[in-house]
Amino acid sequence: MFNWSTAVDAVWQSPYLGLFLTILSFQFGLWLFRMSAQKPFLHPVLVSVSSVVAVVLMTDLSFERYMESAHTISQFLGPVIVALAIPLYENLKALKQYWLPFLLSNVLGGLVTILVAVGIVHFSGASDVSVHSMWTKSITTAFALEIAPQIGGMASVAAAIIMFTGIFGALMAPTLFRICGITQAPAQGCALGVCAHAVGTAKALELGGEQGAFAALSMSFMGILCALTLPFLLAV
Amino acid sequence: MLYGLIVFISYMLLGEFIAALFAWPVPGSVLGMLLLFITLVIRGGVSESVKQSSQHLLPYLPLFIVPASVGIVNYMDLIRLEGHLILLAMIVSLVIGIPVCGWLAQKSMGLSGSKGSSDV
Repeated sequence: MFNWSTAVDAVWQSPYLGLFLTILSFQFGLWLFRMSAQKPFLHPVLVSVSSVVAVVLMTDLSFERYMESAHTISQFLGPVIVALAIPLYENLKALKQYWLPFLLSNVLGGLVTILVAVGIVHFSGASDVSVHSMWTKSITTAFALEIAPQIGGMASVAAAIIMFTGIFGALMAPTLFRICGITQAPAQGCALGVCAHAVGTAKALELGGEQGAFAALSMSFMGILCALTLPFLLAV
Repeated sequence: MLYGLIVFISYMLLGEFIAALFAWPVPGSVLGMLLLFITLVIRGGVSESVKQSSQHLLPYLPLFIVPASVGIVNYMDLIRLEGHLILLAMIVSLVIGIPVCGWLAQKSMGLSGSKGSSDV
């Protein structure tokens, strides 16, 4: 008497499905992150992306159909990137005394970490997609999603590289700081912001407010610097 | 909330307009962010409503990058073939990059610090 299969199909084919899966898995990720006392490996983005990827791989929901529904969420990315100007402006006072260390660490240090990574994938004979996506490794994902296609990389490959770089960076940084005697708050903040972007900035905030401010500044600065230079250097 | 959103989207569209005008291969959103930042520096402050909108929107930034990241499902073969190279490059560049960034900042802090105090 009830038309079960049609009813289930109506939900499964709904244009809201991808949107719903994204928000649901992200909320689950947030919950898991809080319950685990913010373990970097349980970052909400990683949990959310992995969950949706599992659904796409294991069911007949194609990525195209998922994206048709979920792209509404992606469209908020542009305005939110613009909104980053406000914390950038408010953190700016931290720079007054330390603009030189900040610039040296970001420009030279950023160049070193990017060139090492790109050099390794390039000389080990990896494909162009991997090499070009690797250029974005020190850009925060929001920026990188917009920059990657303009330098011959793939947005999603760049996002995966950045996610894991951020997680490994946040996990390794405290040990590296101890071994290498990096004790000053601005230095720790810059290193985390340049090398581990958003996940690193969260880690920096755990270390202290000054570390957090420098990490946030470095993350934004690297994003802007790369957005304004890479597309001209690596034009496709 | 809506006022801030209007400001953010206006700046993003302005960024896209300028990028297209000069045929710059730069994301309009990043240009828009720079323009808003410059506006804030010139104004010398952020209006309360714009600040509130940003505080409401920014915590959700990680959510907004999820859909594009799911696109990795189309590159499973690439991960299988080159994932280990990518992983190696990431780890090595972090082991070198984190100390270099920290060291560059720490060693030069004396420089700009002493410059600050000599201004007095």
